[in-house]
Amino acid sequence: MESEQCGLPAGEALVSLVHEDLGHADHVVLPGLSLSLYPGERVALLGQSGAGKSTLLAALRARLGREAAWCPQHHGLVPQLAVYHNVYMGRLPERSALANLWNLVRPLRGPWQEVGELCALLGLAGLERRPVAHLSGGQRQRVAIGRALYQGRPVFLGDEPVASVDPHQAWRLLDLIDARHATAVVALHQRELALSRFDRVWGLRDGRLVLDAPAADLSLADLDTLYPDASPNTAHAEPDPPSTPGPEILPCSRGRP
Amino acid sequence: MSRALAERLGHGRHWWRGATPGLRLARHTLGLVALAVLLMPFADLAIHTRDPWAELGRMALGLAWPAWGSLESPLTAIGLTVAVALWGTLAGVVLGIPLALLFARSRLVRAGCAFVRAIHELFWALLFLQVFGLSALTALAALAIPYAGIFAKVYAEILEQVPRAPGDALPPGSGRLSRFFYVELPLAWTQLVGYTRYRFECGLRASVLLGFVGLPTLGFHLETAFREGRYHEAGALLWLFYLLIAALPWWSHRRLIPLLLVGGAWLLGPWPEVDGALLWRFVSQDIWPAALLAGDAAGLAAWFADIPELAPAIGNTLLLGLLGTVGALAVALVLWPLACRHFGNPVTRLAGSGLLIVLRSTPELMLAFLFLLLLGPSLLPAWLALALHNGALIAFLVARHADALSPGMPGLPASGRYAYELLPRLYPGLLALLYYRAEVILRETAILGMLGVATLGFYIEGSFEYLMFDVAFFLLLVTAGLNIAVDALSRRLRPREGALLDDPCAR
Repeated sequence: MESEQCGLPAGEALVSLVHEDLGHADHVVLPGLSLSLYPGERVALLGQSGAGKSTLLAALRARLGREAAWCPQHHGLVPQLAVYHNVYMGRLPERSALANLWNLVRPLRGPWQEVGELCALLGLAGLERRPVAHLSGGQRQRVAIGRALYQGRPVFLGDEPVASVDPHQAWRLLDLIDARHATAVVALHQRELALSRFDRVWGLRDGRLVLDAPAADLSLADLDTLYPDASPNTAHAEPDPPSTPGPEILPCSRGRP
Repeated sequence: MSRALAERLGHGRHWWRGATPGLRLARHTLGLVALAVLLMPFADLAIHTRDPWAELGRMALGLAWPAWGSLESPLTAIGLTVAVALWGTLAGVVLGIPLALLFARSRLVRAGCAFVRAIHELFWALLFLQVFGLSALTALAALAIPYAGIFAKVYAEILEQVPRAPGDALPPGSGRLSRFFYVELPLAWTQLVGYTRYRFECGLRASVLLGFVGLPTLGFHLETAFREGRYHEAGALLWLFYLLIAALPWWSHRRLIPLLLVGGAWLLGPWPEVDGALLWRFVSQDIWPAALLAGDAAGLAAWFADIPELAPAIGNTLLLGLLGTVGALAVALVLWPLACRHFGNPVTRLAGSGLLIVLRSTPELMLAFLFLLLLGPSLLPAWLALALHNGALIAFLVARHADALSPGMPGLPASGRYAYELLPRLYPGLLALLYYRAEVILRETAILGMLGVATLGFYIEGSFEYLMFDVAFFLLLVTAGLNIAVDALSRRLRPREGALLDDPCAR
């Protein structure tokens, strides 16, 4: 937390937590948490399963309200409904109950077009009418992201939105998210992505924020400390961490023209 | 073996002590049976007819040689039975859905639903008969009103079990109605349709029973034929009924339902003219004691004292409910292996399943009516009917559940499989089902009074017959209160381990 002061983006914080206890009804998961989210920041949220990532995201969502688009863990889709209807649900509050009902019977023209364009970008073209239950895991993931994108909010909050897609897909999906949101907080497990695609990293361990630093100041080894269960031996036995190039060599999408 | 060792192993005089689930359930069951045996001397279980076996023989002969030719317009009766069940269930669904959405939030809605549920379809029919006469409106209202209460409760329970994540993913500010149609309804759809189908089957049985109060459904022709001793004709009608139930999966296909609805609507007419003033007088004056409306406390006390034999009627109702429940337990324990893949051969299993399905599909009132003709008016025919119908229903569900189990130790004799492998795993679920059923049994107990058994239903029908609507309505309220109390009691006594068989279709 010593690094909190360095690299502060300009502007007022979107959310500031000062010594707050976060959790469910009577079970505190993250005691005495302090952090700030600034506009224009892209934050990767790392930590083991059960470290409190979902709790933190839920708290941010509650504070940001209508500012935040939300992509939940395990997608939270309705398997019986078509892809189109699941994506449309992102803007459910914008129309009357009657219009929403009619849309179930016969898709409204405007949304049908918008969702169609979004599906084409997500590689779901032609699947708009297919029930989500008939899609593969990766396709469902993209529908969930599509629903969050369709909400059209300035801040993107995602709970492992690229967990079940291959690395290339993950890269493209993060491009799409970046293109449409100035600010994002994304929970991840891929440490390389965290360093190469995000401005800042929040690391949770045992219910505490142990890491809050600009991604540029961090190395993969710094991130390894967040995962105490993965012994260093097994980490080195894996082919990728030592052999993959450091973040500085990876193509940097941020600097795209 | 030394005595000390025997005692340490829990053998000997105090074998029933201990806190294992098996012993707890055994004590629970023995307590229930002991209570029933203790109270049995208070029940009138006499056989009043002279030669029940000869009568049974004539009935069986009628069933074996049905006289198809003597049926008058059976198709109209069947059509009307189906139309009433279909439209009654549909009306129940339409009324029940909005109530289900309010169910968790409003205590008033929960209480109202408990009240309308607690009164049997036939009692509602008797009530509406006074206002709408012998018409389709009476039949539809008699089904739709209690079903609305049942649908509200069961739908609310199903919707409550829908996964939380998709609802949480909705953007803030999504309306209640939009949330229902986009998230809850699609997620719960299969279960809702499954339960609605089951309820329609119940509606079909209830629609047949409406014949017993005079509406010209299948039950009307059945009752007439049986009462007049035309057993061959009655046999034909009974076969028709079983065929109708057995063929249900085919004729109630999703695509056929609109056709059936349109055809049924045409059969239901002519519609009665509803006299608003008469209806209002019935609701605001006829069903309330005059003394109550006048605010005359002494008159009310006198009115209350005049109600015939309230305490014995309540006692008989509760006693028959208890005996029926214990009887159903015994029947279920004996019958479930008949339809289970772990026992017998394909032929016995087919016969066993057939027996269970027939007993399960025959409404209690009809079974009781048959036994009544055989044995004369006492609690005995009612008890037999309740035990056989409900026992078979439970046995069928238990057998289906047993089919899914595989015994850990192959090669045991049948008795070993029954007592060591299967029953210990099935019994908690069986007992839980029995407690769900206890409330239904009590509801049925009350209507069996319409056949002359001295339960509350006997006095309710009598009061309607003598146009004492205030007494009839009061007794209906007592019946409903009794049902709600027993429901609460059985909910409390029900073993918690038995969630295995927790199927809404069993309630």
